[in-house]
Amino acid sequence: MTTTGTTEQARRTRYDERMFAIMNDRTAAPLYATAARRRAAVAAHVALTAATVAAGAGMYVTDTPWLAYVMLALVAPWCLATGVINGATRGLLELRTHALDERQLAERDRVRAQAHRLTTYLLAAAVVCIAAGKWFGHVQAGTLLVPVLVAVFVAHWLMPMWVAGLAVRDEPTEEQEEL
Amino acid sequence: MSEQVHNRLAMVRAERKVSRQALAEAVGAHYQTIGYIERGQYNPSLDLALRIAEFFDLPVEALFSLRPFRPLTDEVYGRKQ
Repeated sequence: MTTTGTTEQARRTRYDERMFAIMNDRTAAPLYATAARRRAAVAAHVALTAATVAAGAGMYVTDTPWLAYVMLALVAPWCLATGVINGATRGLLELRTHALDERQLAERDRVRAQAHRLTTYLLAAAVVCIAAGKWFGHVQAGTLLVPVLVAVFVAHWLMPMWVAGLAVRDEPTEEQEEL
Repeated sequence: MSEQVHNRLAMVRAERKVSRQALAEAVGAHYQTIGYIERGQYNPSLDLALRIAEFFDLPVEALFSLRPFRPLTDEVYGRKQ
């Protein structure tokens, strides 16, 4: 049997190797072992993100400084949920291109395309809601501008991670320790 | 044209006592990708298929086929389909 490594492998730096090891660390595997647990992790991440953005928007709109503490308190569980999703996807969106193989690159392209489609719908919904609020509800569009922009930006930033977390398939059985 | 590429990877890998991890490292793929190929959930590129075949010192058609493989016992003992 011969080793037939790729030129892509040769391009990996120590940073890539370290990141690859972190993203493929199986310590937290029970947290994302089943589709139900992965859905729960993504749902928790969406909820924590929404709560953080809502706290930030509340602080901005109502001038309530103590909401900053709420945001700070949400950071730790948000980071934990992010780690669970990254573990489930094996760093699909965190690793550099030359640290991924052909299947992962194809998967990443699929995830980004789907996330782009969902973000487009979300932007369309935001435009419709703001326009409706302005025309029918006498809402000052200017007041909503910053919170809505922040919410849409965060959704655009994190949508690929949520889609990737939901798209993960179960681990193939018969692990390597068998051989 | 068939979209499914059939393979004997799991069988050959078990026969040669090679782990998914070892094969993946040798051919520059993720070990999950080897599992997905074995389960028929991912069709490898020609490049990857050739690298896997080269690793096992086998012709690529011994591992991958557009048609289902005959059971090995049939091939060895010559039973006709």
